[in-house]
Amino acid sequence: MKLTKSSNGNDAQRAHRTIASFLFSVGVLFAGCGGQADTRPAEWKYISTAIIQPGCATASCHSALSQRSGVRLDQIDNGYASLTTRGAAPGTGGVAGFVVPGNPDGSALMGLLNGAGTRRMPPDFPLPADDIDLIGRWITEGAKP
Amino acid sequence: MKRRVSLQTWNWVRASGLLCGLMFLMLGSPTAEAYPQFQFASGTQRCAQCHYAPAGYGLLTSWGRDESADTISAWGGDGGLLHGKVNLPSAIALGGDLRYAVLENAVGGTGSPEFKAFPMQADLYARAAIGETGISIYATGGIRGATRPENGKAINHLTAFISREHFVMWKPSATGAYARVGRFYAPYGLRLAEHVYFVRRYSGFNLYEETYNVSGGYLAENWELHLTGFTPPPASLPDPLQTVGQRGSGGAAFAEFRFNSMAMLGVQSRLSVSSDQRLIQGGTLGKVWVDRAKLLVMGELDIQRHDVRGGTIGYNQLISYLSVTMFPIKGLMAAAVMERYQEDMRVISTARTAFDLQLNLFPIAHCEVMLFGRYQFPGSGGADGDSASLGMLQLHYYL
Repeated sequence: MKLTKSSNGNDAQRAHRTIASFLFSVGVLFAGCGGQADTRPAEWKYISTAIIQPGCATASCHSALSQRSGVRLDQIDNGYASLTTRGAAPGTGGVAGFVVPGNPDGSALMGLLNGAGTRRMPPDFPLPADDIDLIGRWITEGAKP
Repeated sequence: MKRRVSLQTWNWVRASGLLCGLMFLMLGSPTAEAYPQFQFASGTQRCAQCHYAPAGYGLLTSWGRDESADTISAWGGDGGLLHGKVNLPSAIALGGDLRYAVLENAVGGTGSPEFKAFPMQADLYARAAIGETGISIYATGGIRGATRPENGKAINHLTAFISREHFVMWKPSATGAYARVGRFYAPYGLRLAEHVYFVRRYSGFNLYEETYNVSGGYLAENWELHLTGFTPPPASLPDPLQTVGQRGSGGAAFAEFRFNSMAMLGVQSRLSVSSDQRLIQGGTLGKVWVDRAKLLVMGELDIQRHDVRGGTIGYNQLISYLSVTMFPIKGLMAAAVMERYQEDMRVISTARTAFDLQLNLFPIAHCEVMLFGRYQFPGSGGADGDSASLGMLQLHYYL
């Protein structure tokens, strides 16, 4: 098939300028924005929606559809339940499994995120160090829902 | 636009058919099947020229099949169903996508780098037009799989049947108004084939995030508009009809303007409300085709605002994509890509940056070999977290 060409050079130049401006804007924003200080809340609602859901609740992993290893992380409530009560003895109401409130070093979740002696999670992209620190702060502060 | 093919070419066809037949026995999870790089580069202006879906994606039209052979593949071939051996009535269209992938993924931790060879996609498509009414029925069905099966056994790559798309559409002509109802991705942003690209993964268009929609729009020669209202399926529906992701309801708008057969500018917005949060998205995308250099520059930029339930937590995100795609010879597409996803725009260390190289070889109609390499790092690298890399070989055959 033949390519269609415009004979109107002005239109072509205008289009080039418009698109070049757009691409320049994209390029500028690749530089990133924001500060160095981590002012984000160490709260589960934030951690779930900003970090855990997009990173972990994907089709083949911890979505409602797959629930790998029995863990579902696609919503605030079921994600909290999966991380804090998985493995708890039935009827005890106790917290067990991936998160031990007040004890990030004793929480399996931190080992998974750091890949310390285990497969790293998420398996396709390590979380930024500040995200892992934020989750550690949330656990230190009691891992509240 | 059929061509004569040599004996050697037909040997290629037979060999690839046999290979893909074997793959079909093992297959699993889909990626997708849209190549926004072909707009302008193939001489085609509108996605709906090559795809039945009005914004592109999925089953190819007869024009698209011819283009895949004559314009895109190095040694041509016959792009028709089963290499032109089967002629269906014009009201009926069938197709399929089969993919197999081999990858090496390094993220650190025990077992890294990991090596995986797995069936990636086995989807069949069917479309039937109802007389001269302009109404058609479209359905996709396939086998869902996993890169990392639960117990490591190959058979578990085959996990479940899923129908990613099924809809009824009214589209009486190639241009003009259309409407469709059913399951599909609401038109928004670049419809890239690979769901790992940040503009797909982090914007609500990752794997199996197709929603149920009522959609309509208008296709003109130099512009198009798509408006969509969407909602997730009821939780009571079986898994093959379920969607992954935020399960929000809302609306999306996408408009595209084309200039002189060599450039386009798109704008998009989307609102999604779920039980967890309200998400407002907006962005723009553009392409410029430089014919002399056989080169396409393509970019997308999106800003997302999340307001978490309860009203006290909100944050903004940025997603961007910029690529240069070259078509140095017929049958070869090579792209260098830079991507960025900033999880929270208040904190620069939450950004992820990726550099990708993508090489697509189209030796003969129906066959594709894709090589993909990615290097990615958080923040500005170093103390902001560990980097990661991915290398992938993908074999693709379409029926």
